[in-house]
Amino acid sequence: MSALALKNKARPDLFFSLIVAALWVLLAFFVLYPLARLFGRAFTTDAGVFSIAPLLKILGNGNDMRAFGNSLMLAATVGVGGTLLGFLYALTAVRSGLSPRWTRIIDTVNLLPLISPPFTISIAILFSFGTRGLITYDLLGISQYSAYGFVSTAAAEIVTYFPVSYLTLRPILAGIDSSMENAAFSMGASRWRVFRTMTLPLALPGLLNAFLLMFSASLADFATPLILAGNSFPVLPTEAFLQITGQFDLQGGALLAILLLVPAAVVYFIQRHWLGERSFVTVSGKVAQRSHVEILSPLARKILFTVCACITVMVLYFYLLLLYASLVLAFGANSTFTLAHYHTIFTDGMPVIVDTLIISVIAMPLGGLYGMLMGYIVTRTRFAGRRTLEVVSMLNYALPGTIVGIAYLLAFNDPPFDITGTAFILIACYVFRYSPTGIRATVALLHQIDQSLEEASESMGARSGHTFRRITLPLIMPAFFTGLGVMFIRSMTAISATIFLISISWNLITVRILENMTELALGPAAAFSVLVVVIVYVVLMIISYLLAHLRAQSSGRVENILGG
Amino acid sequence: MKLSHRFATGMATAAMVMGCWAVPATSAQAAETLNVYSIWPEPYCKPMFKAFTKDTGIKVNFLRFSSGEALARIIAEKNNPKIDVLFGGPIETFAAGVKQGVFQAYKPPSTKILPARFKNADGYWTAIADDPLVFMTNKKFLAQHHLQPPTSWNDLLDPAYKNMLQMADARTSGTAVTRIFSLLEVDHRDEKKAFDYMKKLRKNIQTYTKSGGGGTVPIGLGQAAGGIFFIVDALQTQDKGYDVAISFPKEGIGASAEGIAIVKGAKHLDAAKKLVDWATSAKMQSLLAPNKINFVPANPQVKTSPAVAKLLATANIIQIDDKYAGQNRKRIVQKWVDEVLNEK
Repeated sequence: MSALALKNKARPDLFFSLIVAALWVLLAFFVLYPLARLFGRAFTTDAGVFSIAPLLKILGNGNDMRAFGNSLMLAATVGVGGTLLGFLYALTAVRSGLSPRWTRIIDTVNLLPLISPPFTISIAILFSFGTRGLITYDLLGISQYSAYGFVSTAAAEIVTYFPVSYLTLRPILAGIDSSMENAAFSMGASRWRVFRTMTLPLALPGLLNAFLLMFSASLADFATPLILAGNSFPVLPTEAFLQITGQFDLQGGALLAILLLVPAAVVYFIQRHWLGERSFVTVSGKVAQRSHVEILSPLARKILFTVCACITVMVLYFYLLLLYASLVLAFGANSTFTLAHYHTIFTDGMPVIVDTLIISVIAMPLGGLYGMLMGYIVTRTRFAGRRTLEVVSMLNYALPGTIVGIAYLLAFNDPPFDITGTAFILIACYVFRYSPTGIRATVALLHQIDQSLEEASESMGARSGHTFRRITLPLIMPAFFTGLGVMFIRSMTAISATIFLISISWNLITVRILENMTELALGPAAAFSVLVVVIVYVVLMIISYLLAHLRAQSSGRVENILGG
Repeated sequence: MKLSHRFATGMATAAMVMGCWAVPATSAQAAETLNVYSIWPEPYCKPMFKAFTKDTGIKVNFLRFSSGEALARIIAEKNNPKIDVLFGGPIETFAAGVKQGVFQAYKPPSTKILPARFKNADGYWTAIADDPLVFMTNKKFLAQHHLQPPTSWNDLLDPAYKNMLQMADARTSGTAVTRIFSLLEVDHRDEKKAFDYMKKLRKNIQTYTKSGGGGTVPIGLGQAAGGIFFIVDALQTQDKGYDVAISFPKEGIGASAEGIAIVKGAKHLDAAKKLVDWATSAKMQSLLAPNKINFVPANPQVKTSPAVAKLLATANIIQIDDKYAGQNRKRIVQKWVDEVLNEK
């Protein structure tokens, strides 16, 4: 079982090889095979002959290329903006001496965009900032402002996805031993210098991970641009979706989606290259006394508070709007209070709620375990094809959901793999599409943990399994719980891939919400959204309680899911 | 070591649990069942299927999709169809499906009495309803700008509507395709004239929505001033309590039939035929009005609901030639994308 201490490239033993083999089999079946079917479809003509002519046609199409450029610009903006905002929040949460109660409130509110169906923010933005928006028109009297386009799409995506970067960055910042910062500070370094030369470099793996997650999420997001991008700002995921559902051109849609793989891969390799050579050890095994830190000046603290407070209030407003819409007869037309929408979703909508819960509850532990295992294997072991394994594990996350959905449909509709129409295909889709957050969290955390901790344990005679359980596992537990939380959140809220995978036997809440919106039934749509938010919130609280309990036993340090 | 083993057992147990779920839920096979993709939204199709089950004892499992998604799925499932019938939705979706060879020909008894535009010549689809287009405008906006509800296509070019109209995108929506072909028919298929108009109208468009009814709520709420919609969507917006006006252009406007078709390789073929027979007959279509579903029945034996009939009495509904539309659809949509949508 030397698998767990492989700095010296020990020969993998049987058990370890079996795990790697099992991971490869799973990835081959649930990632590579569907993708191969998709590529097959993209590069063969109707007559079944291989051809790159359709690809050349797309590369020569000005409109498609513009969409490609727009996608890159949007993803880069959301990547930078979301990472910055997440970092700001993380800094506020762990370094500004905020009282635990305020931290909790900020955490709770900013969790909302993450745990609600993807279009809620877009719709709220439309109603608030549109040509006749509640804020732009009714409040500020601006009538010519259009809520469609790059700015609102980027803003909606940043607000929707920044909690992911916050979740990634908070444990990293919390893990940086503040006594080191204090030491530097007390030895006369300026705050800025300490921040620039210690805090920032130590947080780098987290920042890059957050950027990667945000960039890919934006690149693959189709619900937000579908509602907010308007006509002047086409992006690839929506264009691919339109190609498939509007022109019934599966080939064209598949090709557009394949184009998206290029930037996703480039960002990934840049990040790998950057992180590959550096060491970010901060959990060194020496006892770190938690001390109150003065790393932020009072002014900086005030600015942080104000920014966080403003955004928190805005998010809160969006969701109060949602709650309001679920409690009135017809939003905007009839403001009579009613519980009828809740009655509807708990009677007609009950089967969908049950289906969604069953699938999410099964997907959650599977995805959490898979994510942690994969993260551990790719970081702490050395074997041929390790990087390939890591890249493959990220593929389904980087691809737009519509395409993953179509690829799964192509791959798993015919015997011998006839699993469309089952819950299994939905669970598999979730596990392999949404565990990369858990993988990245594990990787980022492991980058911070000095391997000598594990080696010390082994050199003192502990068996590697023992070392893993007593040393490594408690240290990466926060990442596991992050992965678990994100799995559940995504299983409850995802739509783009699953809209092609739901079936007569298994339907999901998010799809019903989209349905309700096309049926003009904003009330039930809002009620369903509120329900999703409540369920996910309760589950996250349970997870966080369990984590706190677990940690209380081992180390006495209480953390929760929000900050790991 | 112990923990790694626990991983393995955990994974194995979970896999077994999932395996149980992986078996398709076909235990209810005892009674006759039918699997359907419905393009009609749930509030429309559910009462219809309920009545069908009551009449025939056949249980209907259904899933609702937009027309594009439904057809994309049927095409992807072609080699191993999961459903028996595609129910509702504009016939141009069915026409696209016929081209892909995903339907099975079947002519229900009602075929004999249906007008030509309500049936496919080879029997690949049959119409169950008709759906005319209308202009829908926000009354508050009209009052603020001292406007009357538009009664001519040219009324929509009024600068008062600048950046305030929402209508559907021709790439995704049958509503939009019907709208464009209405214009072409109004302009006697003079493409230059029709496209010149659309380019002018473009300046008043706030956004082209992905679905045909996508603009109804924004217009109801006053985010937009007006647009062109199917009568069912417009009347439903009114029924929800939004203060909107429905009007028709005097030059004329088109309509699109709603279809039904059996999927090639249907596993419950007999039941599927029964549903097609039932849906194309007076049995189903006489249920539309009592359920406040504002389609115009396709079957000539069924009377249009008084409310819809009254509204349509003032309307000039023109015919869109199916053959012309079918042959030119792809080219016209592309032309619309190139010249109207992407025009700067």
